[in-house]
Amino acid sequence: MDEGLRWNFDDLVEMAVTGSVSQPALRRGGYVHRPDGVGEVLPGMYGITYNARVGDRAFGWAGDHVEPGVSIGHAEEPADFALHYLTCIGNEAEVQTGLANGAKGVVTGEHARLLVDFAPEVLEELTIGDTIQIRSLGRGLRLESHPGIEFKKTSPSLARAFGLRCDGGRVNCPVAMELPPRIMGSGAELNSEFVDQDLMSGDRALMAELGIDQMRLGDLVGIRNVDHRFGRSYRDGWVAVCICIHGDSVMTGHGPGILTLVTGPPELLDFHLDPTANLAHSLGIRDMA
Amino acid sequence: MTQRNTLATNEVDLVAVSVSGSVAHPGFPGLPAEPYRLAADGSAFLLPTYGGIVYNVSVGDRAFGWAADCIHPGVSIGQADDNQNRGLNVFACVGNRARVMAGGAAGTTGVVTGKSGRFSEQVIVHLPREARTRMAVGDQVLIRAEGVGLSLTDHPGVSLKGISPRLLAALPAREEEGHVAFGVTAQIPAHLVGAGLGLTSEGGSLHMQSTDRELLAELGLDQLHLGDLVALEDTDSRYNHGYLRGAQAIGVVASTDGPRAGYGPGIAVLMTAPTGELGSFDAADTNLVQLLGLED
Repeated sequence: MDEGLRWNFDDLVEMAVTGSVSQPALRRGGYVHRPDGVGEVLPGMYGITYNARVGDRAFGWAGDHVEPGVSIGHAEEPADFALHYLTCIGNEAEVQTGLANGAKGVVTGEHARLLVDFAPEVLEELTIGDTIQIRSLGRGLRLESHPGIEFKKTSPSLARAFGLRCDGGRVNCPVAMELPPRIMGSGAELNSEFVDQDLMSGDRALMAELGIDQMRLGDLVGIRNVDHRFGRSYRDGWVAVCICIHGDSVMTGHGPGILTLVTGPPELLDFHLDPTANLAHSLGIRDMA
Repeated sequence: MTQRNTLATNEVDLVAVSVSGSVAHPGFPGLPAEPYRLAADGSAFLLPTYGGIVYNVSVGDRAFGWAADCIHPGVSIGQADDNQNRGLNVFACVGNRARVMAGGAAGTTGVVTGKSGRFSEQVIVHLPREARTRMAVGDQVLIRAEGVGLSLTDHPGVSLKGISPRLLAALPAREEEGHVAFGVTAQIPAHLVGAGLGLTSEGGSLHMQSTDRELLAELGLDQLHLGDLVALEDTDSRYNHGYLRGAQAIGVVASTDGPRAGYGPGIAVLMTAPTGELGSFDAADTNLVQLLGLED
């Protein structure tokens, strides 16, 4: 880790939060609609996803908003909000019940549920309803050397693993790709402490032109001219570094989910391209293809 | 109101049906008792927001500068039941006639001038200022809903959304083979399209982001008025709102600006096309007040 970066790791409070493995749910009717109005019924959200994992592709699944790994939530609303607001990416998770009791995993995303990665053999032992406990740590994280930069849902383990480097007065973060702000869509109505903002993949030709269709689940991505401190909006010069937490969508205004990790003004924060900038690689979850 | 165009439509096939709502009470989130919302710079603010009878903000007034968060001009109505509210929100069309059915202003007629979206699913109705002073929260307002199913006969690539035949006929338009353009007061670039993206385009609103004040001033977008017709560049609003190069959406400014990130004036989208069938041209002062002859 870069010596020029001073963190407040020692001041953070670590607390347990739990959720249980969710059952996939559909609205009556079940259709999602393509941009031309054609309806489809597609899997992807909730539950245990056996064959889509952080490090895998974000595009091309016969699914919608595919959530890699295990999606957990809490039935009681205030407790569920605590699960959402306290959990950070990179936090350690442990199965508390059932055949996989004691198995360890890692938090890799937050959608309407928390997304937790477990090894494939653990998934085979899990069942819907199993309790997963997370040691939440990271709320309040600050870079003491650069207090003008804001971190969201960043665990100390991720902060160490990012590959952040101090570049003059600026913090520079590796990202797998850059996204233009004009394609940032659904989630603009939410605050940036809660879940993600989808990139809008409806312009398929643009996705191919910019190579965005090569995005992988867990990729770090950079966006310029956005301010993600208190919600997500266009602001000249500002920078955000995010991760891809869920797969593409067929619906207009939707696409892979982009969750904010870092945001700041251009004089303090920048990013550079590095194709290996993926959570699976940075956190040592699995070997990348 | 004057008919400004002779575009062919299927108006004779439309079904007019009643939908109603009652004047909505302004609301705040429940306990813990923190009534604040967060501005884009992180400061907490407490300001009037959507709902209720708004006495001193009307369609035609400025959209910016009010000490408010996304205020609906005039009167906002809703239904307590979600399904019924959805019926109201989807079937009510901008330009439809509204009528107060109960209370001190019973019998007064008004006009639907907008809708609002996620977290504030309400229909916005213009009623004369004097009538508003005689109304109460809870008064029933009935709308003659007419416009869902409307299409432009010679422009099947254009999808119409929540626009009444009356308003459509009043819009300044230019027609060419395979293309139709409408007069608007402003063009909003794609990177300023915000809250509402990815959400339904059969009701609700799509907000122009106003966090970058300097950019808005540069583009003159901070001069918008409530009721102005505006075009949203590269926006496909056929089934949800989203980004698509060459697409266009045209809507009406339905609510005021607000301080939250991702938000700004709410725009009720009235029409859209994905690949250039729909265009727009500059027509200053294209506003619902003149188009629909709104009574002050």
